[in-house]
Amino acid sequence: MSYGKKDEDADLGLVKVDRTQVFQEARLFNSSPIQPRRCRILLTKIALLLYTGEKFPKNEATTLFFGISKLFQNKDASLRQMVHLVIKELANSAEDIIMVTSTIMKDTGGSTDAIFRPNAIRALCRIIDATTVQSIERVMKTAIVDKNPSVSSAALVSSYHLLPIAKDVVKRWQSETQEAAAASKSSSGGYSLGFSSSAGNLPMNNSTMTQYHAIGLLYQMRSSDRMALVKMVQQFGAAGVVKSPAALTMLVRLAAQLAEEDASLRKPMMQLLDGWLRHKSEMVNFEAAKAICDMRDVTDAEVNQAVHVLQLFLTSPRAVTKFAALRILHNFASFKPQAVNVCNPDIELLISNSNRSIATFAITTLLKTGNEASVDRLMKQVSGFMSEITDEFKITIVEAIRTLCLKFPSKQAGMLTFLSGILRDEGGYDFKRAVVESMFDLIKFVPDSKEDALAHLCEFIEDCEFTKLAVRILHLIGLEGPKCSNPTKYIRYIYNRVVLENAIVRAAAVTALAKFGVGQKDPDVKSSVRVLLTRCLDDVDDEVRDRAALNLKLMSEEDDDMALDFVKNESMFSLPTFEHQLVMYVTSDDQAAFESPFDISKIPIVTREQADAEDRTKKLTATAPTLKAPKAGPTKSSASSAEAAASASAQAQRYAQELSEIPEIQEFGAVLKSSPIVELTEAETEYVVNLVKHIFKEHIVLQFEVKNTLPDTVLENVSVVATPSEEDELEEAFIMEAARLATDEPGKVYVAFQKINGEGALPVSTFSNVLKFTSKEIDPSTGEPEAEGYDDEYEISEFDLTGSDYIIPTFASNFSHLWEQIGASGEEAEETLQLGGMKSIAGKQRGDMGTGHANMMDHRCHGATRKDTLPPARRWDRRARQPKHTYAQIAGQERVRRPRGGHGPDGLFLQIGRDDKAHGAKRGGERGGAGDCVGGMNRFSRRCGILMQQEVAGKSRRGCNDYLNSCTNTMSSVSVSQKSSSLVT
Amino acid sequence: MAGLFRKVYDWLMRTFWALEMEVTMVGLQNAGKTSLLRVLAGGEFTLDSIPTVGFNMKRVQRGHVTLKCWDIGGQPRFRNMWERYCRGVNAIVFIVDIAEPELIPQAKEELHALMSNQTLLEIPLLVLGNKSDLPQRMSVDELIDELDLKSIRDREVCCYGISAKEETNLDAVVQFLMKYANR
Repeated sequence: MSYGKKDEDADLGLVKVDRTQVFQEARLFNSSPIQPRRCRILLTKIALLLYTGEKFPKNEATTLFFGISKLFQNKDASLRQMVHLVIKELANSAEDIIMVTSTIMKDTGGSTDAIFRPNAIRALCRIIDATTVQSIERVMKTAIVDKNPSVSSAALVSSYHLLPIAKDVVKRWQSETQEAAAASKSSSGGYSLGFSSSAGNLPMNNSTMTQYHAIGLLYQMRSSDRMALVKMVQQFGAAGVVKSPAALTMLVRLAAQLAEEDASLRKPMMQLLDGWLRHKSEMVNFEAAKAICDMRDVTDAEVNQAVHVLQLFLTSPRAVTKFAALRILHNFASFKPQAVNVCNPDIELLISNSNRSIATFAITTLLKTGNEASVDRLMKQVSGFMSEITDEFKITIVEAIRTLCLKFPSKQAGMLTFLSGILRDEGGYDFKRAVVESMFDLIKFVPDSKEDALAHLCEFIEDCEFTKLAVRILHLIGLEGPKCSNPTKYIRYIYNRVVLENAIVRAAAVTALAKFGVGQKDPDVKSSVRVLLTRCLDDVDDEVRDRAALNLKLMSEEDDDMALDFVKNESMFSLPTFEHQLVMYVTSDDQAAFESPFDISKIPIVTREQADAEDRTKKLTATAPTLKAPKAGPTKSSASSAEAAASASAQAQRYAQELSEIPEIQEFGAVLKSSPIVELTEAETEYVVNLVKHIFKEHIVLQFEVKNTLPDTVLENVSVVATPSEEDELEEAFIMEAARLATDEPGKVYVAFQKINGEGALPVSTFSNVLKFTSKEIDPSTGEPEAEGYDDEYEISEFDLTGSDYIIPTFASNFSHLWEQIGASGEEAEETLQLGGMKSIAGKQRGDMGTGHANMMDHRCHGATRKDTLPPARRWDRRARQPKHTYAQIAGQERVRRPRGGHGPDGLFLQIGRDDKAHGAKRGGERGGAGDCVGGMNRFSRRCGILMQQEVAGKSRRGCNDYLNSCTNTMSSVSVSQKSSSLVT
Repeated sequence: MAGLFRKVYDWLMRTFWALEMEVTMVGLQNAGKTSLLRVLAGGEFTLDSIPTVGFNMKRVQRGHVTLKCWDIGGQPRFRNMWERYCRGVNAIVFIVDIAEPELIPQAKEELHALMSNQTLLEIPLLVLGNKSDLPQRMSVDELIDELDLKSIRDREVCCYGISAKEETNLDAVVQFLMKYANR
């Protein structure tokens, strides 16, 4: 056996390894006496096959396994190691693998410094099954606390794998694991487990990896017990206890996870994370910084230190360190660019880094954090090396630029030049698509760029190898082209496609062409389009001919209306609703649902403009969330705005369905609005009550969802007495009781009120509520409730019926237009909100947290233009509903003019005043979460707004102003307290 | 002097005429296979050994012969694997607990099932009645009748009563096995 020679050209020797040949050679195992060297080479070949994905069929694997089992107890330690290794790999495919258990167990004990001990332990855990785990318990326990780290690590990792199959047994090894995690071994010698054919003594290593394995195992054992985990993090997190950086990294992740799951743990965990930022291992620093940056709702103060640490790493000489730091900053900059701003000088230095990955991340980070002024310079930098990076990075850059376009529309010219420049470069489909979509967005959302962008796209399709993109661009030209100042120039580009391209593109081109012709006022253009379309009638492809014929027919119609409907329909179905309805229809369990076909007329139709606006909101929020949505929590505010809107509409439909099934309520007409769920009790109380307010034309229905959480009791005749404080505006119509509530079965109680002042009235009131019921205990012997119960009352919290309950978000395409329109006819309200300066609020908050905070939340709106300081009131003063002038009073003293807006807690966004004028209309958009209110407002007010729904508002100007006031009232504390300094102008 | 000469002779034999033979030990669980093997290999007898999961392998050195002994677990789940380990060995040792007469029929069934395998033709069989030190044991003759050993005709069969604990008759066992070493 020329082992040495084979080693020289190892590639050649190994590549030729063939499964059947190896299987034939395996007869060697049965020869006697055993030849350790040859066997080892053969085993290596088997291992190679197994590791490179070759699978032995079951019978072959079993034969091999029995052959290998003859090699046991050989004196050659390296052969033993190899045997264990191969047995471990064969364990999954061979039968009767359990046979070697006893033999391997002997190897795990053995002499204490045998080299094969770790291998034996690892193999043992692979071949064992759940019933026999118990028999190896003693072996494993001693191995875990073995003084040799390799043995200990092997035992720990094996226990980790055993945990799922024998949880109870492995859990008994906790104290040993704990010991292994805390032990700090120090012995000399390098870390090597090489196959030496010499005596086979285990080389000692001084690695602390054992701690990592031990902590990993401990975590698995305790993962269901949060307190134990906390204890573990604190015990091992203390300085110097754990030496291994990998183990600390694990603890960092664990601490971050704990802080995320339990708000009360956040503070201590943050302290730990902060400490780890100063650990001497870079790995731990990075992990801690990343954890802090990923923390939900992280504050600037908390993240400050982490960003600082990352900033220091940016100047590190090692490329990988720079890259890691930059990547974390890049991610963080997506949602908190201002926090990363401080690093900008350091990041600037990296944009010319020779490592392209670093340079790309540096530029995209700067694009996110930078201000408008720096954009041009960065774009120049980017174009410098655009040709040198891979498509993937190019897409990252294009995405960043796309977001930037939406953020700084004034920079569109430069970005458009850049985009068109890279569009001409070489690149794959994904890259081109990203560029084209960015240009689409520009056309959609930045009107100034439309003509230029269209011209660039036209040029692009002249030489475009991607049919899909060409079709999309042609469609867009068809949509936008006719609206441009000089539509004829596009016709040439389109017709070129008809002449030169494949059938799919030709068909798209014909449709696009028709859009220029249909409804065209200019007879010259119309006749030339007709000529071109007539030529298309001779096309070889029938789809192209069909489209041409249809469009010619439409053009020749006297009546343009039909043609416009067909070709230039500007409205479309609301796609999210459409999708939702279709899914509901298709996944319906009820057989009856399929008897009638899907009714498409139920889908709301929206204008293209509105769809675009929603699309834009989604894009902006998706790429730059102001604050990260909480991953899980009691409040359901986690969904992104788009999802929230979809689920809200589904919820509204469900309510409407439920209510229409109750005849008394059916008489009230359709539900105009249903509020989100208000919790009137704590979740842990005996009776859990939630409330939904339904607004009808002349009625208000309060839907109480009551749940009895007391075991062994039944509630009967459950009703809620809701007393409005404004009894002259609301009159109780009826109460619908819930007849019987068993434990944990939710029931509904409806209380209906009539609006005394008719449909235009918009009563605002506070309700005090009492839950009344007859409580009966269940006899444990019979399971039946007792005959006699006793009447009981249960006080539940008050709630407000506020102005925001009457407001439905609606789409306003051109806000300033509507603003002027309404403003001219309606009344104007001038409003002065008195907000404290940032400092005084902060000071006040510290001073009297209780009242100060409550005051901020419930602004006091006051009737007259009084300028003296009013005593703080806890609740919005209902007497003061004056349309003309309002006055919001916060505990601070300075008077501030011209507030710009804020968020309502339910996501309504409200514009109070503009240039010292408050008008009857409001604008805003639905957004989840608060924060960044001024910036958000400016972006949003450009396109979408909220108009008061006419049915609700009853066309009353006075009503409008009422709402203005009450909505001020609902400004959330978050936006005010965080942003009041920016409100001050 | 004789001892020294003997040692030199043994060493020479080991070096130049080394013989290795394989022996497989089977039998119902708790018959005493693992204990016997341990005693044969020169170890101490222990009363409380754990049941063998799978198999054990030990080498026993006698003069210039190395006995490679496979001790296969006796639990029902391993019994179908006996045949595989008996294939091609020099001798099969079947161990019976003679202090537990009620298990004998089961042992007989297993033994005859094993012997009927075509792959194991002509491999000599040694049946050992273990635990002869216990009072309520049966005799060797009774054992031969109970196991119906006389019906096994196609191979050499031998039967001894032994005690692994008291180490009685173990020499005879080794002698019997050594006889087949050179085949």
